Amino acid sequence: MIPDYYEFCNSTKIVSGTRALEHIGYELAALGASRPLVLTNTQLLELKVATLVLDALADTEAEVVGVYEEVPVDSSASVVDDVARAYRERGADAIVAVGGGSVLDTAKGATIVLSHGGTLMEHRGAESLLGRRAVAFIAIPTTAGTGSEVTSAAVIKDTERHVKMGFTSLSLLPDVAILDPRLTVGLPPRLTASTAMDALTHAVEAVSCVQANPLSDCYAKAAIGLIRDHLPAVLDDPRSPAGRLALANAALMAGAAFSNAMVGIVHAMGHAAGGVAGIPHGDAMAVLLPHGMAYNIDAVGDRYGELLLDLAGADVYASTPADERAAASIATVRAMLDMLHTAAGLSVTLGQLGVLPEQIPDIARAALDDGAMSMNPKQPSLEELVEILKGAL
Amino acid sequence: MAGGGWRTKRGRKAVAAVVFAVLGRGLVAAARLDERVRAEAGAWPEGTVITLGIGPFGPQVSWRAGGGMLEYLGGAEVEPTLAVTFKSVDGALPLLLGMKSVLGAFAEHRAMVTGDLALAMSFVRCLHIVEGYLFPDLMTRRILPRPAERRAGHLVAYGALVHRRARLEGASS
Repeated sequence: MIPDYYEFCNSTKIVSGTRALEHIGYELAALGASRPLVLTNTQLLELKVATLVLDALADTEAEVVGVYEEVPVDSSASVVDDVARAYRERGADAIVAVGGGSVLDTAKGATIVLSHGGTLMEHRGAESLLGRRAVAFIAIPTTAGTGSEVTSAAVIKDTERHVKMGFTSLSLLPDVAILDPRLTVGLPPRLTASTAMDALTHAVEAVSCVQANPLSDCYAKAAIGLIRDHLPAVLDDPRSPAGRLALANAALMAGAAFSNAMVGIVHAMGHAAGGVAGIPHGDAMAVLLPHGMAYNIDAVGDRYGELLLDLAGADVYASTPADERAAASIATVRAMLDMLHTAAGLSVTLGQLGVLPEQIPDIARAALDDGAMSMNPKQPSLEELVEILKGAL
Repeated sequence: MAGGGWRTKRGRKAVAAVVFAVLGRGLVAAARLDERVRAEAGAWPEGTVITLGIGPFGPQVSWRAGGGMLEYLGGAEVEPTLAVTFKSVDGALPLLLGMKSVLGAFAEHRAMVTGDLALAMSFVRCLHIVEGYLFPDLMTRRILPRPAERRAGHLVAYGALVHRRARLEGASS
């Protein structure tokens, strides 16, 4: 069904495939940039992943004016302001962000500060950043999960209040996203599984949230199919370039989907759990996805029913009665989580991730205040959130 | 109706201005009648100013929470801590007239938020409660996320619209 009104935007150029990184010089030149600041973290430099990008940049006319490698696991407002300072001091004219969600979202935050002045905290809001971005921006993901390389959203931690703040603006969309399988072939199994579940959650929530639209549905369903087909194979053969590229594309498609349809209760709880208990985002998504779906089923069971085709394949979909497909979709997600627990050691409860029972009320409260909750098809009460979280503990 | 009636943009803005005035006093009335609004607004930082408006050049309404009180500021020019701004009067009216939910308007990108989104979520929960007092069940069933719970009847709520200030719970003063 076509919504009464919807918007869709994905302006990022996608450069995906074998040795795609080697086109970075061309892409920078196409953007009119020649002095990139590379943003990454020390771990990616030690693992020689970020080095692949630096090597590719070395063979171009661009001059790398600096490598900012101090991005922490959870990007924070203060780090964003520091990156913006480094950008100005070194006379950069582009940001090349190499990393997972925290690096890419830090870069997005820096582009806000560089384009609009002040500090990041002065620019909180949704759809409120007007005007063009003043910084050329290339995003190079080194995990296949966040999809941040094509999203208009950034999640950045307010370290004083222990909450993750969401920023949404079309000006956050990178100019170029580069997917090169060399960047993800070395991911360990657990991180592969965790990030894939993050991407799966983006896709499932994109389909069920109130901003879902025909175009976001296409991206979301394609992403789910790719994860279903390639995640088990990649865990069996982690160095398969084709499998890694498929998962990278799945994450990207799920990102494009949720960037235009938003996410809901699972992300609201996950952001809150990350802020309060410090648990990794992908791990939180994996644990919370079936619980969020179970809560939403009476509001969007028909949509979950449709997803059985993508989650489990045509044979299962055809052999499942229509009124049982929504529950079967949730069961399929639970089975996938169990498989990933066995194959990659993924946690299946919040307790296993270190969340304490006494933290549940604070997580529930923060989830209620998370912007993602506003796009969920059902609005839970504080008491309902506490019950959902206890069920996941 | 000003400027040629409902069918003109000016007329629709005039309607919106009237609704803003009712909504503005409605939030204060709800804070006097309903402990849920008092608790939400009481948790807002001291001096918080929230503006709901239509941009550009449209009407607006603002409230200030401070000194243990929630105050209706009308359409005065203020420096808001949080601004919820509709992109057009046509995007705002279905919500203001109770034909569309607040979250439905956000879902359709009808408004932008400038400020802390957690504060915006609290404000939206307050608006839901206010709508429960201002609109009949026939409408609230369609626009609220859950059935309206009222601490007082519609007539009492309408009577409370005369007030411009309400005392809050838990607010620092």
